[in-house]
Amino acid sequence: MAVLRRALQALLCGTLVMMLCLRTACGAEAPTEYQVKAVFVYNFSHFVEWPPQAFAAADAPFVIGILGGDPFGAHLDEAVHGEQIGQHPLLVRRFHSIDEIGDCQILYIDRAASAQLPQILAAQAHRGTLTVSDFDGAAEHGVMIQFATENNRIRLRINVEAARAAGLTISSKLLRPADIVGTRTKD
Amino acid sequence: MEEGLTEEPVAKTRISGRIDGPLLCGQLCRAHVRAMLGIAAAILAVCICSARAQADSGPATIGELKQLNVEDLMNVEVTSVARHPEKLLHAASAIQVITQEDIRRSGATSIPEALRLADNLEVAQKNSHDWDISARGFNTALANKLLVMIDGRTVYSPLFSGVFWDVQDYLLEDIDRIEVISGPGGALWGANAVNGVINIITKSAKDTQGLYADAGGGSQPKDFTGVRYGGEIGSGTQFRIYGKYFDRGDEVLANGSPESDAWHQGQGGFRIDSQASAQDRLTLQGDMYDGREDVQTGGITDTSGANVLGRWTRTLSDDSNLSLQSYIDQTHRSIPETPLMLDGLAFTPAGTFYDDLITYDVDFQHQFQLDPRDRVVWGLGFRRTEDAVINAPSVGFLPAVLDQSLYSAFVQDEFTLHKDLSFTLGTKLEHNAFTGFEYEPDARLSWSLSSNQALWAAVSRAVRTPSLIDRDLSEGTPPYLALLEGSSNFTSETLLAYELGYRAQLGSKFTTSVSTFYNQYNDVRSTSFTPATIVPLYFANNLEGDTYGTEFSGNYQVSNDWSLHAGYTLLRENLRVKPGGYDLNDALNETADPKHQFSLRSSLNLLGRAEFDAALRWVDTLLTNNGATPGTVPSYFELNTRLAWHASDRLEISVVGQNLLHPYHVEYGFPDPTRVEIQRSVYGKLAWRY
Repeated sequence: MAVLRRALQALLCGTLVMMLCLRTACGAEAPTEYQVKAVFVYNFSHFVEWPPQAFAAADAPFVIGILGGDPFGAHLDEAVHGEQIGQHPLLVRRFHSIDEIGDCQILYIDRAASAQLPQILAAQAHRGTLTVSDFDGAAEHGVMIQFATENNRIRLRINVEAARAAGLTISSKLLRPADIVGTRTKD
Repeated sequence: MEEGLTEEPVAKTRISGRIDGPLLCGQLCRAHVRAMLGIAAAILAVCICSARAQADSGPATIGELKQLNVEDLMNVEVTSVARHPEKLLHAASAIQVITQEDIRRSGATSIPEALRLADNLEVAQKNSHDWDISARGFNTALANKLLVMIDGRTVYSPLFSGVFWDVQDYLLEDIDRIEVISGPGGALWGANAVNGVINIITKSAKDTQGLYADAGGGSQPKDFTGVRYGGEIGSGTQFRIYGKYFDRGDEVLANGSPESDAWHQGQGGFRIDSQASAQDRLTLQGDMYDGREDVQTGGITDTSGANVLGRWTRTLSDDSNLSLQSYIDQTHRSIPETPLMLDGLAFTPAGTFYDDLITYDVDFQHQFQLDPRDRVVWGLGFRRTEDAVINAPSVGFLPAVLDQSLYSAFVQDEFTLHKDLSFTLGTKLEHNAFTGFEYEPDARLSWSLSSNQALWAAVSRAVRTPSLIDRDLSEGTPPYLALLEGSSNFTSETLLAYELGYRAQLGSKFTTSVSTFYNQYNDVRSTSFTPATIVPLYFANNLEGDTYGTEFSGNYQVSNDWSLHAGYTLLRENLRVKPGGYDLNDALNETADPKHQFSLRSSLNLLGRAEFDAALRWVDTLLTNNGATPGTVPSYFELNTRLAWHASDRLEISVVGQNLLHPYHVEYGFPDPTRVEIQRSVYGKLAWRY
């Protein structure tokens, strides 16, 4: 019986600790990965300079496109809601195939579309589109900004050459804390 | 382990007590340490931390995040980013993960040192090259209830079902993480995953591209260096090669005079990872090492080994994949053995014990979604071990050559009962050469209280199958008389474990986990004798008993640049001799464990380029009972610190102090003049990443 008593004692103590935790567990929740990434994508619209010809008209919308699946849910829409860049109101559009991609200033390429990366990059090559993604090695394969995760924090990996080739200028405010990578030439 | 093979199985020291006269102090005065005190402290810690977490929670809305500049945004810690944090929160077991960052910032120079970062382990350093490591008790010189794997390769020795920690090494920089599970994992991992499982996972070759080099030295280790180079072979195929070497000096004896236990070891290896197609990943890796260890009684232990492992993983769909893995592992060890002494008389002469082991292993695993609420993992395994020894007069194994096969199959089904409640049921079925079929079922319930809190509970059965020591040991080999022998009747030790745990991310700054367990053991190893002949003593399964305890750990991110960590374990063990049974050691031989342990760590970034880390640990008194009379290792506080400066993006300079609070302190062993103590040490290190 002594054994039983001790076992009960241990369980009781453990339960007590847990109940205390439960009671105090009502602090604000930490942001999720794609909340933070959504805010990054929104920030890119401020820290990258597009050539005037990237817009069809002086008051044409500034389009953030998402190709493939949509990992952001409503976060990106929330981030750009009511915002504008100069005369251009910010807008989020979702594309399901390469053919659907129209004019967009930022194109987020979801993992689901990563297999078609060469075609996507070729299609956007001369349209002044900032390409963004988060699958491993994206920046080396020509995506201009890649999110990488280190120790639960989001880091930026920027392929400066790729951006420059598309006529985009990335602010030093983004470049300084980022990892700069080059396109890996492949055979 | 040198001591292990000869000293721990009771014979020499214990038998001399028996022959000299009545057993001394059979009734060990086991003072009841106040468990409630420890628990009260844990509760207090939780309360304080939670209160703080509430007081300054991090930004949580898009609006708030938009106020941050780019640098600050990059410093926001996010949940559910990598697989682990998310998995961790909902893992229905007492798992702790040591990350690469944790290892680097701890200043650890070996895997055992890195394992001190897991609050749910006991780590005791015995001398320059030997450690005893266990979870939830049973940390003896022949600790045998832990399963340890490096990239899926099982590294415990079939000689004693324990781990030769000296030869489990890697370039620490290239370890991705170490997962430490306390509690049984038999349903997935099989025999030996009784009290815990340690999974050491190295980085993919893709994540170790470029050159890394480090070098350093000090009082301990005296000098060390490591180099790795990673590159690309073709599109989607990367490789790395690495080499390392270290030299450790002697520790000291209790009177401060030098012990003879210096050690040097080199290891090299490679890893190739290839994304062969969109669905297929291939990994090929291998390592080899060679080491020499001075031992106390004179002579040198030689260790060497090599392994090669291949793994093919195919992704069948988003939620289905299969993997096939195979490895060959070869180890060699020669240990100088002292004469077996009885009352100052040499019973057997000195000699050398040689062990050569080759392991072949094939493992297949398939997981798939049976329906949206039902996830199945199953697998098959085969392992063949070929062990050959050359016996020393004082210790050996009979037969000297033993080939054994292990067949295993497991299945586990995780079904979602409700969106927040999932139930996992699984079992392993194994067939081993000593005891035939063994089964290890496991049932787990996981309840997500919210997106950032989970409760879990589990009931599992695990077995510790007989090792060669239990069955084939002969202390005193022919033509000499055996004083202690293994027994062909030795059967598996069993465990029935009940666990309950809670895990939470409270606010953006505080994470915690608490787990409690109640373990019932049966058929635990004892030492018996036949009254008519007394010797040889033999191993039997005459012990039973229960243990219970609590493990707490908490992390608090004070600011972007400062984090704190606290850990605490409580352990109570009640082993007893079964009614009608007998044990020479009165059930005291298996449990040299601290009742309480706690640790506090602080990790601070200074001025953007410097890091300061400190780790304080306290380990309660150990009772070491494998001597003629029970002795103790006194409780101790110790402190490790590390100061590092990133001179440039490529160069890191650090100074590490280990065990700073005492000139030397003891962590394990029976109190006699030959017990080794661990010295205060300081070393410097340069690390260069290109």
